[in-house]
Amino acid sequence: MLTSRRDFLAYASTGLGGIALTALLAEQGLLANDKIPLRPDIRPDSPLIARKPHFAPKAKRVLAVFCSGAVSHVDTFDHKPELVKRDGQPLPGGEKLVTFQGAQGNLVKPLWAFKPRGQSGKMVSDLLPNLATLADEMCFVHSMTAKSNTHGPGENQMSTGFTLDGFPSTGAWVSYALGSENRDLPAFVAIPDPRGVPQVGPNNWGSAFLPGVFQGTPFTADKPLANLNRPASISEKTDADTRDFLKFLNDDHAKTRASDSQLSARIASYEMAAKMQLRAAEVADLSKEPRAIHDAYGTGDKDKWKSGFARNCLLARRLLERDVRFVQLFNGSYAMGEGVGNWDGHKTLKSQYETHAAILDRPLAALLTDLKRTGLLKDTLVVWVTEFGRMPTFQKGASGRDHNPKGFTVWLAGAGVKRAHSYGATDEFGYQAAEKIATIYDLHATILHILGLNHERLSFYHNGIERRLTDVHGEVLEGVLA
Amino acid sequence: MHRIAFVALPLLSWAVASGLGNEPPKGSTTPAAVDFARDVQPLLAKHCVSCHGPDKQKGGLRLDRSADALTGGDTGKAVVPGKPADSLLLKKITSKDAKERMPPRDPLSAAQIRTLSAWIEAGAKWPATETIADKHWSFQPVKRPPIPVSREPKASVAPNPIDAFIVAKLSDNGLSLLPESDRRTLIRRLKFDLLGLPPTPEEVDAFVNAKDANAYEKLVDKYLASPHYGERWARHWLDAVRFAESNGFETNQPRPNAYHYRDYVIKSLNLDKPFDQFVREQLAGDTLGADAATGFLVGGAWDEVKSPDITLTLNQRADELHDMIGTTGSTFLGLTVACARCHAHKFDPISQLDYYGFKAVFAGVRHGERLVRTDAGIAIAKEAERLREQLSELEGKFTALEPHADPVATETRRTAVNPRLNTERFKPVKAKFVRFVVFESSSAEPCIDELEVFASGPKPVNVALASSGAKAVSSGNFPNAPSLHSLAFLHDGKYGNGRSWISNKPGRGWVQIELAEPTLIDRIVWGRDREGKYLDRLPTRYRIDVSTDRESWSVIASSDDRTPFAEGASAIPNGLTVAERAAWLKLTKQIADLRKQLTDVARGQMAYAGKLMAPEATYRLHRGDATQKKEVVAPGVLSELGPKLHIPENATDPDRRAALAKWITSPAHPLTARVIVNRLWQHHFGTGIVDTPSDFGKNGARPSHPELLDWLASELVVPANPDRKVGGNAPPGPGGPDTPQPWSLKHIHRLIVTSATYRQSSAANAAGLAKDAQSRLLWRYPPRRVEAEPLRDAVLFVSGKLDLKMGGPGFDLFEPNGNYVKVYTPKKQFGPTEFRRMIYQFKPRMQLDDTFGAFDCPDAGQIAPKRNVSTTPLQALNLLNSTFMLQQAGHFAERVEKDAGADIGAQVKRVFALAFQRAPSNKELAAATKLVKDHGLAALCRAVLNANEFVFVD
Repeated sequence: MLTSRRDFLAYASTGLGGIALTALLAEQGLLANDKIPLRPDIRPDSPLIARKPHFAPKAKRVLAVFCSGAVSHVDTFDHKPELVKRDGQPLPGGEKLVTFQGAQGNLVKPLWAFKPRGQSGKMVSDLLPNLATLADEMCFVHSMTAKSNTHGPGENQMSTGFTLDGFPSTGAWVSYALGSENRDLPAFVAIPDPRGVPQVGPNNWGSAFLPGVFQGTPFTADKPLANLNRPASISEKTDADTRDFLKFLNDDHAKTRASDSQLSARIASYEMAAKMQLRAAEVADLSKEPRAIHDAYGTGDKDKWKSGFARNCLLARRLLERDVRFVQLFNGSYAMGEGVGNWDGHKTLKSQYETHAAILDRPLAALLTDLKRTGLLKDTLVVWVTEFGRMPTFQKGASGRDHNPKGFTVWLAGAGVKRAHSYGATDEFGYQAAEKIATIYDLHATILHILGLNHERLSFYHNGIERRLTDVHGEVLEGVLA
Repeated sequence: MHRIAFVALPLLSWAVASGLGNEPPKGSTTPAAVDFARDVQPLLAKHCVSCHGPDKQKGGLRLDRSADALTGGDTGKAVVPGKPADSLLLKKITSKDAKERMPPRDPLSAAQIRTLSAWIEAGAKWPATETIADKHWSFQPVKRPPIPVSREPKASVAPNPIDAFIVAKLSDNGLSLLPESDRRTLIRRLKFDLLGLPPTPEEVDAFVNAKDANAYEKLVDKYLASPHYGERWARHWLDAVRFAESNGFETNQPRPNAYHYRDYVIKSLNLDKPFDQFVREQLAGDTLGADAATGFLVGGAWDEVKSPDITLTLNQRADELHDMIGTTGSTFLGLTVACARCHAHKFDPISQLDYYGFKAVFAGVRHGERLVRTDAGIAIAKEAERLREQLSELEGKFTALEPHADPVATETRRTAVNPRLNTERFKPVKAKFVRFVVFESSSAEPCIDELEVFASGPKPVNVALASSGAKAVSSGNFPNAPSLHSLAFLHDGKYGNGRSWISNKPGRGWVQIELAEPTLIDRIVWGRDREGKYLDRLPTRYRIDVSTDRESWSVIASSDDRTPFAEGASAIPNGLTVAERAAWLKLTKQIADLRKQLTDVARGQMAYAGKLMAPEATYRLHRGDATQKKEVVAPGVLSELGPKLHIPENATDPDRRAALAKWITSPAHPLTARVIVNRLWQHHFGTGIVDTPSDFGKNGARPSHPELLDWLASELVVPANPDRKVGGNAPPGPGGPDTPQPWSLKHIHRLIVTSATYRQSSAANAAGLAKDAQSRLLWRYPPRRVEAEPLRDAVLFVSGKLDLKMGGPGFDLFEPNGNYVKVYTPKKQFGPTEFRRMIYQFKPRMQLDDTFGAFDCPDAGQIAPKRNVSTTPLQALNLLNSTFMLQQAGHFAERVEKDAGADIGAQVKRVFALAFQRAPSNKELAAATKLVKDHGLAALCRAVLNANEFVFVD
């Protein structure tokens, strides 16, 4: 860990701004050493080279599963016996409550029964029967809260820490901090749902004001990385000779400009591109996977959304296996009619969730099982999130639940976190977080912590502010750490 | 502190009785003088400021600055001069309740309490001490510094003050300027820099061979006078102001007429509009005959997903205004005013009240379109009127071909309903109420984009319009996306899915129009989406009733006599003769064309420049929380920085913005001129003199050449240096016969690009690299990669396909899509429409172009005053393999074949001339010739468009 001022200056990317700030802060005694901004030293010619974390990490890479549309916690992972008991009665204090779409109906018990699972006996509903069998692997955070009750800002906050557009995504922060262990694949891959991109699209994986090299690269098992392949109209030989000639031109050009690292970086980027063409094609080629694996994920399902998501799950494992630093896997797309493309169950939650759960459950359970089987779970952190929760009531005059940012559930698994553990709690109905209330800042701080990063120090100067993933908030959720 | 020990006040006896003090009060009634700086300030600094200072403002209180301390915190005035007993500060430090008492851990001694009390009693004088506002460099007035005397005169170039500053600093570091670049390099540098395009081989030859000693200056004049200058430099400005043409957030719907602001910026730069005027227009253009300019205010993201939830609504509004406050502060002042939303600025003298004063300035501005007054306005209105008359005539003819509806008919004589347009003709009937009842739809909740009811007569008019006084009610409305679907859109005269009504029930629903007065009607026209993008949600079984009293209704038309609905069925009425059928088809096309023309004409008059209305009340918000209102705040400018200016509390919306603009553009403002000249410098050299171009505050970078920055700022506002224009005919400025007008940006450009500093070679040398690897001291011209936009433009330029048409709506690099959450699918086919300069790309927020976006294009989520430059393998893949690049490599090859003929040697030379503006070496010629022989000319073109020499400028 770098603590001295000199170390910091050597480590920080130089820029008069940074030095001025540090000097200023030191002068005013405003920062303890453990809060001095740490900007990774980004070498322009190899920006993605692996960098050391701030302290010994528990995980080397992250799989973030994002269920877009706001998954109802009370119908999945947050068991509330009182909600079952008071089914059909009004939510106390709910008469005047105006949520996103308006007025509340009565409390409605979970639409799927909860049962004890695994050795821990953790109560999980029947909506996700395969994932439920893995409850012993999971560390639930039941006391999550979000800042917005609208999908756009909500999804922004879960992925970038800010409700507004234009802030770097968690994956971008992580690849900015740690670089990549694999130079032939992107450091950060985003895998959108087969039905389409999530609700705020690329803002989930954008680099915003961080250098573009740290943005997530979107591709799926069925839609390869854009512009990856040599166009069919160009033969292999033509392509090879063209690139040789290009190399010759560039080398010649660089000879008289020997000191310019920008030029050598660009030459190197073409070599990396060639390697990436091989590796990315290889990683997306699922044909070599054994039959049993395909069956476990369900890649051959007749339903194209189910098999598409299954292939994405399998792709995620292959990316993690090849040391891609951050894989963001989406289940649920942009809204294409209420509750059609994603988990936004306002009106007819039962039928909508049966559709979505059937897509999510088996492949994701297979992926988790597979990560465990291959040992990847030992140094991979899995984070399952959604932008906010849903109300324990039905909306007035409807058979679905409205948005609820006041309490919801996420879960973590794998490296650095407790197994079979539940952290925090909502009130008796699952309406508001009540015990050990956690914020998205806290969740992000925890993710960074498990990766060996101090969320208060990892920063990037943008327009007057040392920006952090966690803004000026966030505390590591010590209770979830193994 | 000895003296203080003797100070005591009767008023304070209760304090001592609390048992906190060690010393009993003395009965003296003559307060001894308390020295603020010596006695009070250190005490506050030591015991209070850690929680009530720049870092934290617990309870909203700040005790390190007079203005804040005297204002107090959330619970009231901390200090009431002359009245210690009324001062919360005293109450707090003397409270008996340990929970209430301040400081929470170590209570003050009685002596310390007496000091504070005495100070308040004596009037709480807070003498002016040196504050950040007094000390920080950028907050001091701009003073024109003397020009350093050159120690090593350069005879080759006429003296330019910029060089004197640069050379002085270089020699302090044992460095010097390099010789001037060769002319080929120079023209390439200059044209990319000023116009964002490569020079043609012919331009290069002419310049290289020019005998004229002023050839370079003439080139500068030519480029500065080129309209492409505005296109190049507008991009820099649009980055800094986060301009994009879609709303962002979830729906990210386009703003089809936001381009007016882009055109305004391009035009203003080309006209060399004085910068102060440029600023004033962007803040208050509505008062200055420049309506489109206020597109600046609303250029940021806007969440159109609305809700009955009041907290959400308040937060959304607060965020909208926050964006305007932040962008205004950063863009014009280089200050992060936005940082004072929750508490006083951590580094700069900007209080929370200052933030809310700014907020009150913008409190009348809302996102949306506004009618813009342009010179062309009257002509446009006339044209629209002419088109409308034509349309009405055509529709009359068209309708005549439509069979009458017959609600009691059993056979299906009429065509099936179609999503675009359906006409119901019937015998004239008197109606006050018209009801359209849907029983079945093709899918989901039924949608009607417009319901038109025509009065019978020779000149049929639509009497259902809200603007004609008609009113609409319905069985229920779709709750989502109210900006696209609402009842009001049923009869607003606007077509398309984006202005439509949708029912709240799948397959059914009704709407009813109450006409302004009972009218004889004979035709009703309706559609699901007259723009033809949407085919779903079509009412397929319906009935139309009319009534004069809303009691008795008669059915005038229904779907019963129509052919059953089938997707893609013909819309041509049944039973037409061949001639009628031809006429029908012709009329359909004519009507569609006319409608489009009308839409375009109407759209031309509206611009996404903000809706301006009476300002709403502005409150200070506790910790920036939109639900925690504190006191009302009047509009204001920053209280501690810049000239003083008072804005009347009841000023109108335009007056507020005009006042702020006036303050920002005051020649005495220390920031405005410094910030803009620094932006110009940044784009000429790659890095600004201040490397944090939108933050000149304490947290920003220090200037590398502070005197030069001030000299440039001063020269902008009070030009005294002759403009080296060779053949200009601009009127002389006040500084003398050859000096330009004040605030002329082109004057500063000209000074910079004619300097020896700018013209020097970019070659590296060991001495320079060792001392200053980043070339901040400018011992060489820093070479750099061109940005995404000039790169794409250059590709099209050399391929011969670039369309230099200026202005107007942009071209779209994404497939059309009308989902209410817009889906951005990159286009894979490109034609001439997409071959315009990239500044004219319809720029969606958060969605980058598939090919060039990876070259660090800003996403316009937040401001991007300085772009990153990163190098990634994905950029390489995009330039090698994208459809666009391959297509252009092909066009490039075709062009070269045309230019150079069949000889491969000549072709290679032409490729090098166009792309690199030079001849190939023998080695290059040989290698390139082989490549062409083996794989064709397009292979060479593809390689060259990927070459470092193509994408870098020396």
